[in-house]
This record gives sequence, C-alpha cells and structure tokens, in this order.
Amino acid sequence: MSTNHALATPLSTRAQPSSEPAETRRRRLNPIEIITSRSQRKARPKIVYALVATAALFVLLLTQLGISIAVSKGAYQISSLQNSQTVLDRTQQKYTEKLGVLASPQNIANNATALGMVRNQNPVYLDLGTETVYGTPTAAATPATTPSNLIANSLLDGVPVISKSPDGTTTPATTTAPTSSSTTGAAATDSSGSSVASSANQLAAPETR
Amino acid sequence: MRPTTPGRGSSGHFGAAAQRSRRRRATIAGIVIFALVAVFVVRLVDIQVVQAASLNADAVGKRSISTTVYGDRGEILDANGKVLAATVLRYDITAAPKFAAGYTTKVDGKSVTYTLQQTVDQLAKATGGDSATMYKALTTDKTSLYTMLVKGVDVDAYNRVVKLGITWVYPQRATARTYPDGAVAGNLVGFVGTDGAQAGLEYEYDKCLAGTNGSETYERGLDGVKLPGSTVTTKKAVAGGTLETTINSDLQYQVQQDLNEQVTALGAVSGTAVVVKVSDGSLVAVADSGSVDPNNVSATDTGDLGSKAFTQSYEPGSVFKAMTAASLIDAGLATPTSQATVPDTRTFPFGATIGDAEYHPTEKLTLAGILATSSNVGISYLGEKMSAKQRYEYMQKFGIGTKTEVDFPGEADGILNDYTKWDQLTNYTTMFGQGVASTAVQTASIFQTLANGGVRMPLKLVKACKLADGTVIDAPSETGTRVVSQKAANDVVDMLENTIPEGTLKGMQPISGYNVAAKTGTAQVPGANGKYEAGQYVISVAGIAPAENPQYVVLVTFTKPSTMKTSFAAAPAFREIMSQVLETYRVKPSTTPLTDIPDTW
Repeated sequence: MSTNHALATPLSTRAQPSSEPAETRRRRLNPIEIITSRSQRKARPKIVYALVATAALFVLLLTQLGISIAVSKGAYQISSLQNSQTVLDRTQQKYTEKLGVLASPQNIANNATALGMVRNQNPVYLDLGTETVYGTPTAAATPATTPSNLIANSLLDGVPVISKSPDGTTTPATTTAPTSSSTTGAAATDSSGSSVASSANQLAAPETR
Repeated sequence: MRPTTPGRGSSGHFGAAAQRSRRRRATIAGIVIFALVAVFVVRLVDIQVVQAASLNADAVGKRSISTTVYGDRGEILDANGKVLAATVLRYDITAAPKFAAGYTTKVDGKSVTYTLQQTVDQLAKATGGDSATMYKALTTDKTSLYTMLVKGVDVDAYNRVVKLGITWVYPQRATARTYPDGAVAGNLVGFVGTDGAQAGLEYEYDKCLAGTNGSETYERGLDGVKLPGSTVTTKKAVAGGTLETTINSDLQYQVQQDLNEQVTALGAVSGTAVVVKVSDGSLVAVADSGSVDPNNVSATDTGDLGSKAFTQSYEPGSVFKAMTAASLIDAGLATPTSQATVPDTRTFPFGATIGDAEYHPTEKLTLAGILATSSNVGISYLGEKMSAKQRYEYMQKFGIGTKTEVDFPGEADGILNDYTKWDQLTNYTTMFGQGVASTAVQTASIFQTLANGGVRMPLKLVKACKLADGTVIDAPSETGTRVVSQKAANDVVDMLENTIPEGTLKGMQPISGYNVAAKTGTAQVPGANGKYEAGQYVISVAGIAPAENPQYVVLVTFTKPSTMKTSFAAAPAFREIMSQVLETYRVKPSTTPLTDIPDTW
C-alpha cells in the first residue's frame, strides 16, 4: 500500500514542473527572456556523465586495491623464496667448501698412495694422426719407500683416507680426530663428522679381481 | 546566468532582509573556512617543513630496518680455474647474558624447560665450543646485553644452534678465508690475518680482492615481511674481484712434493723450483721448500712464510755462463766453436787466481765444451774479449739487478753493481755468476729469454683481476724485449744440449723421448763477514725442453746441501720436475736427434 503511495508521489512531483514554468514564464515575460535552444539544452551536463565518472573512479579504486593485494601477496612469496635461497646458498657453499678440500692434490695423492698407486715417470704418447708411439713404455718402478705427502694441508685433518684390505676390496678408514677438538669430546666428533667429508663422500675405488 | 531584473529589487523589504542575512551567513562561513584552512596550513608547514627532519628520522627509525649487504673478498684461482683461496661463511655465536636463563622448547609435543647449565651444554655440543667458558661468559655480568660465545662456527653448527631455538642467542654472520689446497702454492697465495692481507698475492692484490659491504633499508610489516617497493639502497655493496693466476695447482703440488723430497735427501737448508712457460713468460709453478699452509700459518716458521724464489737472491754461479756465451755470440765475439786452450787454473797479472771445480789437464775446448764442462777458466778467456760495460749492459737487458715484473711482495732486486765499481777479479767472476746475485725467478728468466729465441717476456704470475662488474684490471704486459739475436739464443740452447750426455750432468738418466738443454751451477755462499763460507754452496740446474722447440724452462736450486755438494745433486729433482712438466702439458716428444756441437778441437 505504501508502495503504491510512494510510486504515486514522483508522478505528482513530475507534474509540478509543467505548471510551475508556466507561472514563472508569465512573471518574467518582460523585458527579455533567453530561450534555451534545443542544442543548448542538449549541451547541459547530464546525470549519465556523472554516473560514468563516479563509476570509473570506483573501478579505479577497486583495481588499485586489487593490485595492491596482489603485490603484497607477491611480497610474501618473494620473502619466502629469498629465505629459501639463503638456505640453499648456505648449503651450496658448505658443500663447495667440502668439495674443494676433497679435490685438493694432497687428498688425491694420499688416497692414490693408500691404494698402492705409484707414479710412472716414463710417459708414452700415441699420435693418432701419424699412428706413432713416442717414448718407450716402461713399467713404473716400485718406490723403495712409500712416498708420503710432504705438503701440509690442515683442512685435511680428520678427512678419512681410503684403505686397502688384503682381499683387494677397499674400505674407507677413519683417521684421527681433528686437531681442533675441544674438551667436549662428543661435540668435537659431531662437528668433525659433518664439517668434513664423511665416508659416503669418498670415491669408491674400483675393485680388482 | 539570469541577470537580476530591476523589478526583482522591488519585491519588498522582506527580500532585502533575507539577502543581508544570507550575506552575513556567507561571511561567517567564509571566515570559519579560512580559519580552518589557516590552522591546517600552519600545522602542515609545521610538520612538513619545520619538524620535517626530526619526524622523518623518527619515522625511518620506526618503520624501516637497515641491513648490511655483504661484498665478500674475491677468490684466487689457478690457471685452470681451480680455487686457491676463497671466502666462506662462518657464524659468530653471541648472546645477551641479561636474558640468559635457560629456555623452554617442545619435545614430542611436550614443553620442556632446560636450566642454564643444560642449555650451555647443548650449545657447546652444537658448536664444538667449551661449555665452561661459555657458562662463565654468560654469568659474569648479568646486566650485559652482549657476549661472544663461540667465534667462526661453520654452517652446520649454525643450523644446529638455530634449531635449538634459544631466544637470547644471536648468531652473527662472519666470513673466513679458506685455502682448499693448503700449502700448495701457499708461498705464492699468501694469507689473510686478522688485520687484513699479510703476504703473497693476497697482499699484493688486496685492492683487487677486497670487497666493500653495502647497506640497504627497507620497511617491514608486523609479520616481518618486507613491504614491496620500500627497499632503499643506502650504500652499494661491491663484491671483491677474482684474481686469476698462471699457477697450475696440480703441477705446483708435484713440484713442491719433488722439491721437498730432494731437500730432505740432500740435507739442504732450503730449495726452490721455478717452472716458466717459454712463449709468454708465465710462471706455471714456483715452489719453495716447506712453504706455508695458509690455513694454519702459525705452524710455519716465519722465515718460510714468503716465497724465497722471489725474495732471496743468491750468487747463481755457472748457470750465468749461458748468458755470457749468448752475449758473446750476439756481439759477434764468439761462435759455438770458438777455441780456447783451457788449463786447470788461471792466475791473473793482478795476482788473483781462478780455477775450475775439479782438476783437469790442459784441454783444447770449444765454447760448447766450456759450457758443457762448466769451465770457469775457459769462459774467462773468451769472456774477456767483451768490455765490462758491454757485458754489464747485456746482464741488465737479461733482467739482472732489477726485480721482475711480477713485483711479488718483498721481491729482491738481486745485486748487480755498476761495472765501474767492479774490481779486476769481479770483472772475471761475473762471467760465471759470482760477485753478482739474482733471485731464482730472475735466473729462470735468463733461460726463458734464451729458449724464446732471445726475446725476454715479462714474467707473470697473474693473468688478470676480474672485478665484479666485469672490468679487467692488473693485466700484465705482453710485450717482449729482444735481448740477443735469435741465432745467439739458439746457438746457446744447442750448446747446452751437450750438458746431459757429455757435460756436468753426465750420468743423469735422460728424460725419455726429449732433447733437454741444461746448465748447472754451483756457487759459493757469502757469509756474514763478506767472505764465502767454506763448504757451503747453492747448487742449481736450469734446463729447457724440448731443446729444438723450447716450451718450458725449469730451474731448481738447493741452498747449502749437506750430503752432496756438487750441482749434480740437483739433477734428480730437475729430472723429476721437468718430466712432470712435459707430461702435464702433453709436450710432443722430440723427433730430431740431439744437436752435437764438438766440445774440443
């Protein structure tokens, strides 16, 4: 009921302007009256423009909000990725450091000696182009004494050297505890076990049978 | 839009009163608005201009976090890119004793609280530190906010500490210098101490290697996440440059190993070995006996910390005869077959006497024979044809008396007095390398010049320093200087091929497949009183291989050997090192027979 009433109201208000202009026209007839032309009336601001502008503003604000949310969501992703990068960098650096020590000439020489390898100072070359052999193939002489490594490398303390058992198989043997061991024996062993090569890092020597 | 009509004013008193009231209201409104705006403007100026600096500082302090961006010290690489020195991550474990009182953690979902002693024990176990020391550090001053628990623990220990989750323990990033190859090239690489670079290339190229830490600030949210776009770099971090050396670390190891073995076998005080690539003067290995392990500097005697091959000059002895012979041939004063009648000793009119190392009857030797048997008397007869001034100038051109282009820290110039200051005897002794002193690298450079057809290449130990932004600095000069003619240089190399089969190295096992030109030297050592020490020598062998197409020069020297004092004692080390060099670089074996210039006439 009230709805009907509400609907009726605009109709009555709409009817009003038609009567009111007539009254004012009569009052202001003289001396001169500017009559707006059709085109001028057309040029007047229309409500639709205001609506479009406001709507555009809202769209703009919403988009900005959306972008802002997306960016800050990205920030979390960046943050977590950077964190994992730091951890991975750290790990990579740790293993590079270990690898550098394992790849040192001293470690290689120690292991080669432990496996009973000797230097052959009579190299022989084969020139594939001319099929020529240079040099006289000679078996390596067994050194009178096992050459020991004379070049210090304190980083190799505690790095195990492979050992050769009588049956020809090879097993990595553990060497002395690192010299940097402290009074807390357990801690030192723990530290050396992970900061230097574990036996799993050693190259397995080929078995000779 | 509508103009006010005259009739409108006559609408009555009522209309005029309304108009006045409207004006009054407008004026009041205007004044109020103006006052408000004025208040805001004043406040704005106050905030934005007057208090701007202090407010900004407050704001930055409240919102933004400043962090260090690390620019670590660069690496030192060998010729093949293998790392000789690197910077590694370490952590200093610090704590705030004020808050140190055990901690609570969850084990299997249950909350467990540890006492301070238990906590310290756990920390000690995780870091390998000493728990008693830590406990003391934490309990001495309970008001302190900072104490160092353990310095320089590795990443594994750091991870274990973080895992414990103790709130009052703060690991701080630190770096350490590590030398994976230990004492291999330790004499050259040098080391970094707590006060910065101390020796070797680390010291010489400190500017190249050093990095600069930078800093940046950023703002972060309540949950610690960086606010996007808020990062401001306040100081740019610059990582240190990478130093590329000419050293071959594998060869360097073997050369050091061979040298150390022979120093022990000969009972020598010290020894050096230098390997030079002929074509460009690169030092591919420079070994010193007992060289320092840069990871553990304190274990080495301070006298052995540097590289004696660069820092110690010695009287080189007969190896200089090769230089004298080349000068003579270049000046047209001799040929390889120039003849001399050589007795065992020669007494000069001014009273002094020189003699050969061993007694021999009077021989008719060619210049080749004089070099092969290393006759002092013989070279004095041929050498006196050249004026002292001319010989002095040749020696200068060969690089004697001036330190090499390497400019190694502490490198010696050697001793080459001006020829006008030579006495009559010194005029003769300089022909065979006494009364003049050179470093091992200078001596090696003489043979590089002879092997390279008379063109001396500047010696180099470093290829270049590559900075973080890609620019290359410190690239050494590649311009050689001609010292003697190609003919003179080649003649000398040919003559030196006689040394192994029939000269002072006769009996040395030849290096299978290669023609090797070599010259020995046995020189007396001046003592503290300026006189030569009795029975003390520096013995050396310098050699070039392959002789017909020289690729590498090897020089070995032993100072004061005790078991065997002739230059032949240096032969095994020379042989081992030279064959290793030829094998390492896959040098093609000789296909031509030895040049055999007659020794006698």
